[in-house]
Amino acid sequence: MNTRKKLAKTLLVLFLCANTSLIFAQDLSKEDSLSNEFNMVKNDVSLLKKIKISGYIQGQFQVADSAGTKSYAGGDFPTGSDKRFAVRRGRVKIAYINTLTQFVTQFDISEKGLSTKDVYLQFTEPLLKAISLKVGVFNRPFGYEIPFSSSLRESPERGRMCQILFPGERDGGASIVFNPPKTSKYNFITLELGMFNGTGIASDFDKQKDIIGRLGISKSTKSEKIKYGMGVSYYKGGWNQGTKTYYEGIEKLSNGVYAFTKHTNLKTGVLATRDYKGVDAQLSFETPLGITTLRGEFIMGIQPGTSSSTASPSTQPTGSASTTINGTATGNVNIPANSGDTTITVTLPVTGTATTTTPNADMYSRKFNDAYIYFVQNIGTTKHQLVLKYDWYDPNTDIAGADIDATGVTSANGKLGSADIKYTTIGIGWIYHWDENVKIMAYYDMVKNENTKITNFKKDVLDNVFTLRIQYKF
Amino acid sequence: MKKKIIIAIVAIATMSFTLPSMIAIKIKGSDTLLPLAQKWAEAYMKLNPGTSISVTGGGSGVGIAALIDGTTDIATASRKIKMDEKLKLQEAGKAYTEKIVAYDALSVIVNPENKVKKLTREQIEGIFTGKITNWKTVGGDDMTIVCYSRESSSGTFEFFKEHVLKGKNYASSCLMMPATGSIIQSVSQTKGAIGYVGMAYVNSKISAVSVSYDKGLTYVAPSLKAAIGKTYPIVRPLYFYYLTKLENMLKPAMDWVVGTEGQKIVTGVGYVPLSAN
Repeated sequence: MNTRKKLAKTLLVLFLCANTSLIFAQDLSKEDSLSNEFNMVKNDVSLLKKIKISGYIQGQFQVADSAGTKSYAGGDFPTGSDKRFAVRRGRVKIAYINTLTQFVTQFDISEKGLSTKDVYLQFTEPLLKAISLKVGVFNRPFGYEIPFSSSLRESPERGRMCQILFPGERDGGASIVFNPPKTSKYNFITLELGMFNGTGIASDFDKQKDIIGRLGISKSTKSEKIKYGMGVSYYKGGWNQGTKTYYEGIEKLSNGVYAFTKHTNLKTGVLATRDYKGVDAQLSFETPLGITTLRGEFIMGIQPGTSSSTASPSTQPTGSASTTINGTATGNVNIPANSGDTTITVTLPVTGTATTTTPNADMYSRKFNDAYIYFVQNIGTTKHQLVLKYDWYDPNTDIAGADIDATGVTSANGKLGSADIKYTTIGIGWIYHWDENVKIMAYYDMVKNENTKITNFKKDVLDNVFTLRIQYKF
Repeated sequence: MKKKIIIAIVAIATMSFTLPSMIAIKIKGSDTLLPLAQKWAEAYMKLNPGTSISVTGGGSGVGIAALIDGTTDIATASRKIKMDEKLKLQEAGKAYTEKIVAYDALSVIVNPENKVKKLTREQIEGIFTGKITNWKTVGGDDMTIVCYSRESSSGTFEFFKEHVLKGKNYASSCLMMPATGSIIQSVSQTKGAIGYVGMAYVNSKISAVSVSYDKGLTYVAPSLKAAIGKTYPIVRPLYFYYLTKLENMLKPAMDWVVGTEGQKIVTGVGYVPLSAN
């Protein structure tokens, strides 16, 4: 009996010990399991952190001085309209950022549709971590205003010069970026130099490639009360002319009128040179009044265009379309009885072939200069900011507005026109930073053109624009 | 039975009216300030049970970025806020307040087995910029110098570069560590190692060298006495940054931190109290 009791006690103890170790084993395996799950979640989070999604939307209401205003404050107004609501920009940017590599894509979504802004990859060499290669469609490395985000800019639009010389800001190409890491004492230097199509986001239309580069510095004082920067930029490129004729230089004709001098190349396809030199500077400093920012840029150079436009082209520039009809025309000709009517309109049915041709445009080469300067004042530590901006664009520095006249100019020369008129714009604005996402802007652009002797531009055109904008950024 | 139920309901309702509402404060940023901020948080929460304070590190830059993003209430920093960060706060419509809460003596540390116990500023600069690569050059054994630094998001990194290296860049061979603790561990395990940490982190596993800022005429070891007496040359302010709109909520805590009780803890942890400066 005693032996049985002892055996039973022993078995009971053994049974309890086994269960205890089972409990410990379960606790340990629970800990392992939790630790494994935590590590899995941590890995997933660190992978997800590489994906960055950001964007902003700008909804606005604008009022122009007159219906059908031609404007660089977000595009021309429709013929019958001097007021409009619009989604000026609806950007979504997705970036996958690894230690030394990144992929970036950005779209613009608005009532006008969906369009691509940026699509590029960038990778940095692992040794110095100072040199990167960027390939794709991205901001041209020229000046300060081009890469400065529209979501941060204190005026609704970039200056007229940026929109004319660099439509869309982006171009397809590849660039090398030199920007040492924070651990280097040369971290304040950025040099970017690249080769681009020169046609913006559109496919290239000729053999020419453009070289664009900027060397800039950005530093703060030790007190962290002053931040300053400056840069120099250069653009060398152009496009192949589609015709043998080009116009360059201004001469005074026998009738006293100024006109372009006509030249003829031996062949088509000769380079229409784009040559820009730019300098930019930025200064922010803190005073008891708040942070004050001064920002300015000056560009000069040679811009090839057409008789009617100095905008950098995304396709081969073309002239006016003409239609040739091969066939016979039959019908009646009605001549109005009213003797005062000097216009006779003939409308006949045509049997045959109608061929429309749009010839390439002759190139007009102009020397230009342009600049802008911003004054931005934060009101103490409040959410308010005041903005003042002055910019000018002189598309043809060889001629003054008062001498722009097309009277009596024959095909032996090139006529001066609206594309040669200098514009100055003064902008004044107020910005309210509601919170980290929302910003409200009220801005008035006062645009003044040179007075000339050509129709519609004999005095200042009514093209001032008021913009009220709300921006949501995430 | 009904009476009991009614009494229970009334009791619960009364309790919910009398329970104090919790104030939750998030503090994030400087690794240097981490031990001090944790001690403050523990002590303050004991005195104020209705307050919950969470403290995390990551570096001064990380803390200020979190303040801009709105994911922290107080950003701790061992360097002044930068102009870029001020502009970002302005862009986000956020007014901020800066408060110095203590001072720190930055210590240059070596492995305890290293016989080098003192260095001039010029020698420290030479070591961290890669010009001096062997301990024998500065009176030690023939042993390669292994240099450890904080990462660039750290205020300590910025301060050391500005004030000790006089703006020169770190050697590319310098190993960048994410946190003070990892520098302590690496230096304690590597004979030829050198690094820099806040004085409060110095322990028996590492050795702090005496520093000379007068080309070797006088050497001063980092200590509370030397920092208070202003004989130790590498002393820097430590900051709290918070949004001005949270002033009312944070005032009691801020007043306590810079007051007598809070400053006693500063000394206890190994930092320099405000009154010393």
